[in-house]
Amino acid sequence: MLLMPQKYISVTCRTKMKRTSKDGQSKLPDNTALKQQQLPASRLQLSATGVLSCFFATGVFCLGMGIILILSAKSIKEIEIKYTKICGNCAKLREDATNFDKVCTCSIPFYLPETMQGNVYMYYKLYGFYQNLYRYILSRSNSQLVGTDLKDVGNCAPFSKSHDGTPIAPCGAIANSIFNDTIILSYKLNSSIPIKVPMLRSGITWWTDKYVKFQNPSSINLSSAFAGTTKPPSWAKPVYELDEEDPGNNGFLNDDFIVWMRTAAFPTFKKLYRRLNRIQYFIEGLPAGNYSFNITYNFPVTRFKGEKSVVLSTLTWSGGSNLFLGLAYTVTGAVTWLASFSMMAIHLMLKDRKVLFIQQ
Amino acid sequence: MAGEAVGKVRPWEENLQEESEEGSEGLTLGPLTSPVMSPSCRVSHGIAGTLLGEMALCAKKRPPEEERRARANDREYNEKFQYALIPQVSSLSWFTTIVPLVLVLAITAVKDATDDYFRHKSDNQVNNRQSQVLINGSLQQEPWMNVCVGDIIKLENNQFVAADLLLLSSSEPHGLCYIETAELDGETNMKVRQAIPVTSELGDISRLAKFDGEVVCEPPNNKLDRFSGTLYWKESKFPLSNQNMLLRGCVLRNTEWCFGLVVFAGPDTKLMQNSGRTKFKRTSIDRLMNTLVLWIFGFLVCMGVILAIGNAIWEHEVGTRFQAYLPWDEAVDSAFFSGFLSFWSYIIILNTVVPISLYVSVEVIRLGHSYFINWDKKMFCVKKRTPAEARTTTLNEELGQVEYVFSDKTGTLTQNIMVFSKCSISGRSYGDVFDVLGHKAELGERPEPVDFSFNPLADKKFLFWDPTLLEAVKMGDPHTHEFFRLLSLCHTVMSEEKNEGELYYKAQSPDEGALVTAARNFGFVFRSRTPKTITVHEMGIAVTYQLLAILDFNNIRKRMSVIVRNPEGRIRLYCKGADTILLDRLHPSTQELLSTTTDHLNEYAGEGLRTLVLAYKDLDEEYYGEWAQRRLQASLAQDSREDRLASVYEEVENDMVLLGATAIEDKLQQGVPETIALLTLANIKIWVLTGDKQETAVNIGYSCKMLTDDMTEVFVVTGHTVLEVREELRKAREKMMDSPHAVGNGLPCPEKCSSAKLTSVLEAVAGEYALVINGHSLAHALEADMELEFLETACACKAVICCRVTPLQKAQVVELVKKHKKAVTLAIGDGANDVSMIKTAHIGVGISGQEGIQAVLASDYSFSQFKFLQRLLLVHGRWSYLRMCKFLCYFFYKNFAFTMVHFWFGFFCGFSAQTVYDQYFITLYNIVYTSLPVLAMGVFDQDVPEQRSMEYPKLYEPGQLNLLFNKREFFICIAQGIYTSVLMFFIPYGVFAEATRDDGTQLADYQSFAVTVATSLVIVVSVQIGLDTGYWTAINHFFIWGSLAVYFAILFAMHSNGLFDMFPNQFRFVGNAQNTLAQPTVWLTITLTTVVCIMPVVAFRFLKLSLKPDLSDTVSGPLSAGGAGGRLSEPHGAAGHAGGGHPLSLGQTPVQPGAAVPRPRRYRCGPFPTLPGQVRYSQLVRKKQKAQHRCLRRVGRTGSRRSGYAFSHQEGFGELIMSGKNMRLSSLALAGFATRSSSSWIESLRRKKSDSASSPGGGAEKPLRG
Repeated sequence: MLLMPQKYISVTCRTKMKRTSKDGQSKLPDNTALKQQQLPASRLQLSATGVLSCFFATGVFCLGMGIILILSAKSIKEIEIKYTKICGNCAKLREDATNFDKVCTCSIPFYLPETMQGNVYMYYKLYGFYQNLYRYILSRSNSQLVGTDLKDVGNCAPFSKSHDGTPIAPCGAIANSIFNDTIILSYKLNSSIPIKVPMLRSGITWWTDKYVKFQNPSSINLSSAFAGTTKPPSWAKPVYELDEEDPGNNGFLNDDFIVWMRTAAFPTFKKLYRRLNRIQYFIEGLPAGNYSFNITYNFPVTRFKGEKSVVLSTLTWSGGSNLFLGLAYTVTGAVTWLASFSMMAIHLMLKDRKVLFIQQ
Repeated sequence: MAGEAVGKVRPWEENLQEESEEGSEGLTLGPLTSPVMSPSCRVSHGIAGTLLGEMALCAKKRPPEEERRARANDREYNEKFQYALIPQVSSLSWFTTIVPLVLVLAITAVKDATDDYFRHKSDNQVNNRQSQVLINGSLQQEPWMNVCVGDIIKLENNQFVAADLLLLSSSEPHGLCYIETAELDGETNMKVRQAIPVTSELGDISRLAKFDGEVVCEPPNNKLDRFSGTLYWKESKFPLSNQNMLLRGCVLRNTEWCFGLVVFAGPDTKLMQNSGRTKFKRTSIDRLMNTLVLWIFGFLVCMGVILAIGNAIWEHEVGTRFQAYLPWDEAVDSAFFSGFLSFWSYIIILNTVVPISLYVSVEVIRLGHSYFINWDKKMFCVKKRTPAEARTTTLNEELGQVEYVFSDKTGTLTQNIMVFSKCSISGRSYGDVFDVLGHKAELGERPEPVDFSFNPLADKKFLFWDPTLLEAVKMGDPHTHEFFRLLSLCHTVMSEEKNEGELYYKAQSPDEGALVTAARNFGFVFRSRTPKTITVHEMGIAVTYQLLAILDFNNIRKRMSVIVRNPEGRIRLYCKGADTILLDRLHPSTQELLSTTTDHLNEYAGEGLRTLVLAYKDLDEEYYGEWAQRRLQASLAQDSREDRLASVYEEVENDMVLLGATAIEDKLQQGVPETIALLTLANIKIWVLTGDKQETAVNIGYSCKMLTDDMTEVFVVTGHTVLEVREELRKAREKMMDSPHAVGNGLPCPEKCSSAKLTSVLEAVAGEYALVINGHSLAHALEADMELEFLETACACKAVICCRVTPLQKAQVVELVKKHKKAVTLAIGDGANDVSMIKTAHIGVGISGQEGIQAVLASDYSFSQFKFLQRLLLVHGRWSYLRMCKFLCYFFYKNFAFTMVHFWFGFFCGFSAQTVYDQYFITLYNIVYTSLPVLAMGVFDQDVPEQRSMEYPKLYEPGQLNLLFNKREFFICIAQGIYTSVLMFFIPYGVFAEATRDDGTQLADYQSFAVTVATSLVIVVSVQIGLDTGYWTAINHFFIWGSLAVYFAILFAMHSNGLFDMFPNQFRFVGNAQNTLAQPTVWLTITLTTVVCIMPVVAFRFLKLSLKPDLSDTVSGPLSAGGAGGRLSEPHGAAGHAGGGHPLSLGQTPVQPGAAVPRPRRYRCGPFPTLPGQVRYSQLVRKKQKAQHRCLRRVGRTGSRRSGYAFSHQEGFGELIMSGKNMRLSSLALAGFATRSSSSWIESLRRKKSDSASSPGGGAEKPLRG
């Protein structure tokens, strides 16, 4: 595959002939490369060496990349615990919407056989939750979320206004369905007192989301800023009381809220919940040992036959576990190599025949 | 009176250009009766008062022309657009559909408006031609369009007749006037018309202004040769016939001026009635495209249904339970209804598979190709200063698919100029030019022409290259002198000498003119004639011969003689005529001379020259006296006068002494034989349709190498009855199948044999045949029950010549081929008689630069030389077709790749009609991100350099066989598009499902996914267009790289903070581009997608190139023809150039004895990888070349001798001359003849004509004759 430069000379010298007749000469088409379709150009030639070397190179690249990716994916430590069934009674309780004010907690002990080195991230993962439905995705008001116009709930149907007509803040189906389980990871150091693993709830959003896309309405304090609006129907607390510990993490700027509002592309997705604060015992990461998740079970998933899980994972240079990409690259590389070998074989065979053909 | 008579007068050319609606009725073949006209049309001409009234009518403005607007598939889009406004259904913003639609409509409107504007301009050019109209007793200049029925207009010499006129008077005696009807019927000889005696005296304007006669005549019709009417004037009636009419399209010749009364104007003229209806032409690709769009639409509905069902099921199974998070809309009460709404939503989302911008892109590409045609310097005729012009911009790619070319003869293949080229005088041949190629050589390559300065009366325009002939004349060689004396005496040319020494010859046929002019230059100047004398300046000395008799020409005699008495009193008969006739009537003593002359004749005939044999005979006084007596008796005979005269003539034209022979070249247009050879090699069949005589047509057929002596047989069909024609056709077919080469069983096919069987039998015919069919036979052959037989026979022949056909018959033949052969037809012609055929054929080409522009106005393309046809078809047409096909393939591919992703995503988003991409991306994808690279490819792409397409005419075949874009190719594109869309969706899906970003946050959010898929899509289709583009110019680079750059620029702009701050609800993707595209995983995904989408394409193309290369693959690269070293000398007309070193006689190409004979109608070039196409091709060319070579060299087959006495000559002028009627003599001198001249010579002339034309299909046979 080479671009062969061709010997096309663009005719630039415009020999203006003597203007014998004005009219006649003016009709003579211009002798320019463009008008005479003689533009200098290179022709695309699929030459054998070009194509074959291109194939070999691609094969090498893909194989190499595939192996690197697989290796790095293998180095990732990941643990996922589905807790819908484990916390079956909580799940049952949540199926009835009237029990919304009853607290249900659930503890899930697990054993970590190996240390999780480095940064550890905790995710919640939902199965069968359709954040990508057309009407769901649309059901939000960016102008409200950016704090400019709290009353703008135009796109938020069917969760735009409460029964009495007060605009909901944050409005819309996405905000209303926020994931509201609380997950606390504790570490049993000496099989006696569990230590709460220190977790950071900051830095789990995109910078642009936190600083551009979401802004609280400006006011003295948040509660007055949200005056004249009401909380979404499924929410227990108004938006300005989401985080009691950190007043800066409230309103539209709440990290969990921002994460939720970035809707997932597929019905099964995991969203970053917390990241490990590497202090004390956890400077190296999560040491091996006994842990447990203490979950306040709020988010109902059994109604739509969904499932929830909590995931702990480390990262590599390319992000989280990405076996698929590595495998895909390896397969592609292998197939490309195979193809290039067979193409070369065909090419050589034909070349032999060509020689024969001429010799005859 | 005026109102009743005139009806509406419309601008003249408007009719030609009228755009009829699609699907309007085809060619109206029967005689037309205008509903406006009363059965008998009364035309009157009154004095000033009524004239004013008529003028008022004339001034009526034409109705404003409406603009063509509606496009084929707009309605669907309009509908969709309306759906998009229903909130429950909409899944896209209004602008995603509206913006492209408005853009498309705007561009189309602008283009159509420009088209119309230019068309109006050329109409106006014709409509505003000036003619002199007699108004209020004075001549005034009026534009053509204002001339109306009842006006008297004045015509001057060499002017076009602007309307059907009744000739009132002329500058010539007896109200005679001469016209040339080449525009009308293709006949090149001059015709004579005469005013009726009462009006012929109305010479001056004042008398004409008082003329108030009234014409009652037939309604407008399309019969060129018939007119009947009556003139009422001064209380008497005068019958009118075609002999008194000047039809529109004729040119006045040799007549200083004449006056005529307009009888039919504008669309009512016979010419216009003959020109057929304008049809809206569309290309086959257009039709295919529309079918495909319909299919795609069906496909779209299918997908919509599948997804709607999916939606209903999903809503039923999952959606109902998911209502806590997303309740249904109020309007939606069941899963079924939700599915129904989702159907419409998906129709809107997926509508991009039916690309709106397709139509406008196609138009833009065609426009570009049209400009390339207009700009082509190699199609610019320097002599006539006319560039080629694409008059319509919608047919370009069809130029690459032409299978049948229908050509006019006169003015198209020939220049309508006769040149005295060679002669043989008493066994010696003169006129050979030193150049081996003889007449083929360009004028510039010849040595200096002979200097005729010794002769003050010589015609400066006459050129002759052999000085030996002039030497012989100067030496006083008696044979040579007698030869030229004959030429200066034996003819019916009239001379006119305006000033001393300024001679003008009025020749009835250009052949005669050429011969007399030749004699004039060689010192035997025909100076003047009276009915009884001829004065000739022989080498400067005036000699007056007494003209005793003219033994005129007719079709049976094929010769003419004069009997003159020279000043010494000797009586001598000079005769010139066809060799076949004359050689039998020679004195036996001249046997030796006869054989040499025969050799020369054969040689001339082999070069395609028209030959004549000259002979003389001395008569003694007694014999002549006795013979003259017998002749007088015969001419006075009441019954069978013709026969008796003929036998008397035959008696005296005997035992003549051979003088020699002349050879006249019917000058072909430049490069005609080469063009025909090249087009034939490109598998294009050429049919010549001419109004001219059979002999002339056949002769031209030979000289332009359509017919060759190598042909197995040339069938001539001249039957007058249905049965005869059927029999002749049947015999022809039998012969073709009986030939020893024939593969078939040789059994004649029964008459009711199905056409399919006929084809299969006749396609196996070996050997080359040609068919010549006459107009009256054609009339029968075109009848419904015989047309298939005719068509099959004709199509099995290598060459077909139809002669004596009327304009409408031309159209019928074209229509026949069009209808049954499913092939693309092209008609080329220059005259008004070609208009109907030009309009009927898929593509009409007009020869411009001639005086008449009727054909050009009706045509789709025009240029001034027939030879440009090869460039138009083989270069422009081929490229256009190639580009259009590549464009369409890619266009469908990219839209399917783009759209089908939504389909796959449907399975993951609950079939909720969620789009994969950002709405702006959907809006801009087709009109910004991917439009320009493919447009650049569609406009500029070239697979092989233009020289190659001339050298390898076989490269044209894929177009004829429709190989590059058909339903199969379409499905391949679609499959590729779907394949791409699958990978485009599932690879990112696989990656995103698990992966996280490198900062641990979620990767698989919807917006990142959208950006990733969109980016990889833009990259993949850009790489694909890069692969498809075979010819990378700077513009291609600019557009392809530019599109990518613009994509990223717009992406980042749309995702920027600034726009979000202004419109937070519109630009929801804020920050997405920089966050997503900063991820290595995303880029790895994009790379993988690109590799997986592109590699198979490359592999497939490479394998195809190695295993089954197309001819264009093998000749495109520098590897062919030895690269720069073996550069070809001349691309123009190189192939098929007889004798010349053909570029394809490549030394480096190994000739493979084992290589099979190229199979016809196969494009793939066989299994051998080494330029197999070239090997086979060069063999083919060599074979053809050899054939041509042989044909040039091998002369001497008597069967091929084609001579005829002055082919376009007609009988009749002899009598006219002897009557003295047409001579401007003093009344005294004329009085001497008055008694003798038959007062009704023109009547007898007409009688003769009607006798000779008394065939059943009389109308068909003689297109323009009274």
